[in-house]
Amino acid sequence: MPNYADDQNALENSQPRYLYPDYVSTRKRAPSKPLIALASSLADLRGPVFGHDSIKPEDGDLTKQHSGDPLGERIVVTGKVLDHDGRPVSGTLIEIWQANAAGRYRHKNDNHPAPLDPNFTGCGRGLTDSEGRYSFVSVKPGAYPWKNHENAWRPAHIHFSLFGAGILSRLVTQMYFPGDPLLAFDPIYNSVSDAGARQRLISTFDWPATKPEHALGYRFDIVLRGPKSTPMEINHP
Amino acid sequence: MKLIPTSSQTVGPFFSIGLARLYQNAAEASDKALILTGKVFDGDRQPIPDAVLEFWSGVSFARVSTSEDGSYSAVLELPLANGADVLIFMRGLLKPVHTRVYCGDFDAVKNNPELKTVPGERIGTLLARKATAPNRYAWDVFMQGDSETVFFHF
Repeated sequence: MPNYADDQNALENSQPRYLYPDYVSTRKRAPSKPLIALASSLADLRGPVFGHDSIKPEDGDLTKQHSGDPLGERIVVTGKVLDHDGRPVSGTLIEIWQANAAGRYRHKNDNHPAPLDPNFTGCGRGLTDSEGRYSFVSVKPGAYPWKNHENAWRPAHIHFSLFGAGILSRLVTQMYFPGDPLLAFDPIYNSVSDAGARQRLISTFDWPATKPEHALGYRFDIVLRGPKSTPMEINHP
Repeated sequence: MKLIPTSSQTVGPFFSIGLARLYQNAAEASDKALILTGKVFDGDRQPIPDAVLEFWSGVSFARVSTSEDGSYSAVLELPLANGADVLIFMRGLLKPVHTRVYCGDFDAVKNNPELKTVPGERIGTLLARKATAPNRYAWDVFMQGDSETVFFHF
């Protein structure tokens, strides 16, 4: 895991700012008044816990959720979730969603005239193991146009949502694919000003994770902010 | 030695594909529960139909998304005079905004020590209005403008 936080500049520029005008939707949605420092700490505000019983095996294999196989290049996405001290974050929920291989989301507001795949929903979830590892099987998502600017295309990506130990570790991000020529033109990816942090949003081709005759491996490690604390026990669907 | 946390990216417009399984159904609310409803508005005062709100109280967690008219409805399990932390995600937010909501009396909220950094004229943006039905409160969120909700460093 490269790039340590002793580089203050890299740390400060590792997160996007709210207003990034090249990403047009930020203009009317980014806060316009200065943020305020809350006079109490969030360090102890713990997150929800999700039991293994609520996760089914097929939740982590997006190619096994329908009667047939989805079209596309089959992939295995694996990685480790660490806290900022480099310790594994175990038992935390990861939710992912993505377009199908043609670049179409199964969502009523996606009007891109690319085909839906009856065998692909594009939704997965799983828990990290005791060493913080996770694994999903899916198909490589396609790029898609998004009207942000003239001839705008999103690079292929998978959305990731993670909880970690508490509210400070909550993270929603996107995983990209190596060598994608669209990355250079994508304002969402380029909203992160630190080049190292941007690079870490790109998965790496993972030869050992590649399964012969089955799927190409990609690795995407994730670092969550925040101190370690014990998640709260709650009942939630 | 610490690692730099992974960069945040927007949830985009299609998050319901991945996040819907943790949404709650307000119809399941118990008698003790408090139901908070409201709308989320952008800088042009247009309703935001693709926001997701998470309510963190330390003992309960609720996640809901807005509808076409920008409205949401969340079931909160506790009296919220002490407030709940709220994270809001949406297309156009590259990272979530953090705010708080209080369902209590204005004077009590105004004097809450954790809000001493909030300018007095903006504290009202954190206060939900009591509705006529029992245990119901209303709270709108304004992303920008004169009535912009107070957002905290997160």
